[in-house]
Parts: sequence; C-alpha cells; structure tokens
Amino acid sequence: MVAIKGFREGLVIVFNTELGQPWEQYLHALRQRLDSAPAFFKGGRVALDVQALELNEQHLRDAVHLLRAYEVDVWAVRAQSPYTRASARACGLADTLQPPALPTERETAWPQAVEEVSAESEEAAGGLFVRRRVRSGQELRHPGYIVILGDVNPGARIIAGSDIIVWGRLQATVHAGALGDRSAVVCALEMMAPLVRIADVTARPSVATPSSTRRKIGSRGRGSAQMARVEADEIVFSPWSMTGNSRIERLLSKIL
Amino acid sequence: MTGMVITITSGKGGVGKTTATANIGVALAMLGQKVVVVDGDIGLRNLDIVMGLENRIVYDIVDVVEDRCRLRQALVRDKRVGELYLLPAAQTRDKSAVSPEQMVRVCKELCEEFDCVLIDSPAGIEHGFQTALAPAHKVLVVTNPEVSAVRDADRVIGIIESQGKGPAQLLVNRIVPARVRKQEMLSTEDISEVLSTSIIGIVPEDEAILTASNRGLPIVLNGKTPAGQEFMRIARRLLGEPIPVRPPVELSWWQRLFARE
Repeated sequence: MVAIKGFREGLVIVFNTELGQPWEQYLHALRQRLDSAPAFFKGGRVALDVQALELNEQHLRDAVHLLRAYEVDVWAVRAQSPYTRASARACGLADTLQPPALPTERETAWPQAVEEVSAESEEAAGGLFVRRRVRSGQELRHPGYIVILGDVNPGARIIAGSDIIVWGRLQATVHAGALGDRSAVVCALEMMAPLVRIADVTARPSVATPSSTRRKIGSRGRGSAQMARVEADEIVFSPWSMTGNSRIERLLSKIL
Repeated sequence: MTGMVITITSGKGGVGKTTATANIGVALAMLGQKVVVVDGDIGLRNLDIVMGLENRIVYDIVDVVEDRCRLRQALVRDKRVGELYLLPAAQTRDKSAVSPEQMVRVCKELCEEFDCVLIDSPAGIEHGFQTALAPAHKVLVVTNPEVSAVRDADRVIGIIESQGKGPAQLLVNRIVPARVRKQEMLSTEDISEVLSTSIIGIVPEDEAILTASNRGLPIVLNGKTPAGQEFMRIARRLLGEPIPVRPPVELSWWQRLFARE
C-alpha cells in the first residue's frame, strides 16, 4: 500500500492508489511503515507520490504532521491530479520532484556531481550508485543498497535499507539494513568509520580509534579493507575478501 | 568588459578570508587589473579596515540595493595601487539586507566595468554565504591546517558543488613549515587527501600579517614578506600564469630577519 523508493532527489513515499482506499487507511499504512524502521527515516527529507489520488489541503497536512512526528520533512508532492497539486502548493510544498531553481544561471562548464539510480536492478528496492566523494554534511539515504566509488569524509551520513559498499576510505557513520535487514553488510576498502550500524546493532571498528594523545597530527594512518556483518547479535568485522558473499559479488560484478 | 566574479569563503571563521580578499585584490590591481573588492559581511564589516579605507566610506552596498545612491558613488578608490576599488558593507543592518538576487544584479553591473570582482564572504553556510556565492564564477575556499577548519571547508565545498558553482579552489593559509615537519600541524598533503580540491596557493604563517592588517596596509604591498609574495603568486595563478604551487620552506633565522617589513 505504501512503498519507499529512492530517486536521485532522495526518498519518495509512493502510495499505491489502485487499491482505492480512504486516505486514513493510507496514513495508517504509512504509520506502520515508519514504526517498522524509525531510524531509517529519522532526520530525512521525503517526497510523496500520491499518483491519482484527489487530496485536499487537510489530507496533505495530516500526512506532513504524521511524518514530522517521526522527524521526517516533506518537501514535495507528486500527483496526477491538478487538484492535488494545487493542494500541495497551498501547503507550501513543491508540486514536482525537480529540485528548485537556483537564483543565478548555472555554469554549464562545471559538471554536476554524477549520481545514478539503477532502476532496472533485480534487487527489490534497487540501489543508489554514487561516483564522487561524499563530503561532510552530505547525506545519502536509499531503501536499497548504496555503492560509493570514492571516499566518504568525516561528518557525512550514509543510510541504506540494504548493503553499503564504499570503494574508498569510509570515515563517516553508516547505517546499513536500516529498514530492519540484519543480513545487510558494510564493506569499505579502508574501514575507518567511527560508528557502524546494521539494522538494530551498533559497533565501532577497533582500527578507527587510535589513542588521540599518542597520535601525531597529520598521520591518520590507513584503514584496511573490511566487511562488517551481524553474527549472533553482534557486528563482526573481518577482512573484506571480494569473494564469499554472493550478494556482494553480484553487486561488484555490476560496478567493476 | 565582462569581469570575473571570485567569491572567497571558508565555512569556519577567522581563517583569513578578509586578509586573503584584501591581498589578492591589491595584487591583482598591481598586476594591472581593474579590481573591485566587495565586502559581503554585512553587519560585521572588516574589509575596509584591513585595506585601510575605513575613513573614506560614504555609502555602502545596502545604500546601493535600496536605491539611496548609485553604485559608482558607493565605490571607494584605493589610491595606493592602479585601479582598485572597495564596495563596503553596511555596519548597521544584517545579512538579510541584501538578497542573492540583489547581489547578482550588483555584480553584473560591476562586471561591466571591472576585470575582477572579489567578494569577501561571511563565515558560515547561511544567508550571507549564499548571497556571496550566488554571483560567483569562481570560488576560493580558505582553510587553515587545522582539523576543524578542514572539516568546515569540506562542508562548504560540498555545498558549492551541489549548487553547480564548483569545483572550488583551495587556499591553505597560515602553514608553519617547522610544525608540519614535527607533525604538530596538518600538512598540505593531509588536507588534499580529505578535500581532493585543486590548491591555488599555500600561504605561510607570517607575523607581519597582524601588524599589516591593523595598520590597513595589505602585506602584498611589501614585496619582501613570504606571505605577501605568495599572495602575489596566487593573483598571477588566477590570471592563468602557470606558477607551480609549492609548500613554503622553512626560513633560517637570518632569512626571517631580512623578511621583516
């Protein structure tokens, strides 16, 4: 009834309107979805795709209030009905998923960061494929897997419903399996994350915390290629061999 | 004439944005460019003091956007070097007094008359920064060899990229070669490893900067100091001269003596 999808512009909550249920039923289903994995949504920003539903301003406000209670911000509504789009505008929401225009004309010579969403992936939720450095303050959130070709700097945040693979140095907090999937894994060529979460389990990789008093400034050292996964209620870090986990092997075969 | 707008920003405060703006502005003017430096720090203006033009301000940028004067009337000419002008900020009011659209309009007008428009951005990532960024053709991010300044620079570079204003160039300020050697301070390589941004210049720590700023005499006017020389090289690099970027070398005690003002 309510599906979570990831697009280039971020998360989109899609309401399956073919069921023809009253709006309250949809909100009920949304609440159940939020309750099932609050950590995945908390602090996020979503758009709503209400398809053919005819919704008035109050309907949309109810949804916004519900999401706000879970610390989720709504920024846009995608709707087929012009009436619903007008309601969205009346609520101060965008009525398209295009990011807002900038105050100045864009320079064409400088390419935008490249992010691809592979839509035709065999995994149910698909994945987010990012080919750039993820910087401090930037956040990637996707219901499927997230693959990053590049370093993830301190202060960034990566939250995925499935696996997280960093083909580079991982120095930020990550949350894999954030929709409740304990079989999700986190892999990085240099595992230096201060905190790793998989579903409801949390751990700190031991390599990332050298004694700060002994450490010389500037010599941060190198992390090693590691994989984190849940074993018996605990996160276990092991050397990341590129083989042995069929799901990761399949993902890697797609990107390399 | 279509000038180039260069915004100088940092995220973290106190890393040397205003000093860099003043010195690069003076250096570009010494190289024969027609330059205007714009103080984007409305409500906390400093650029006029560092440039020694505080007493000559009549109108400011807020007067311009609110139509109390023409743009020409607000420009303060620096008579020490060729064609150098300052568009001061207002000391009353705050960042909301100028919108990004208004800044774009002012800079468009300045570009018709000047080769280089340098904007001294306020610290932070809020309204004032967005306003200073809006008209930029090129962005310089100033950072110090400190973990906190580098973290903030990373955040700012990310915002610049996401707004299609990138890639930003990095100006590493206040490097002390001896402390880098003793691993007490981040090296330029450490900074590049995190930020992976091209570096426009590495300015050494220089005691003469403090006195120069307090006296309103940008250090680049004194060609003998290491910091002044590097600011001049940065200006040349901005104009496209292929001068390699090198970390400053440690000076011996007698070299330091002669590098004094």
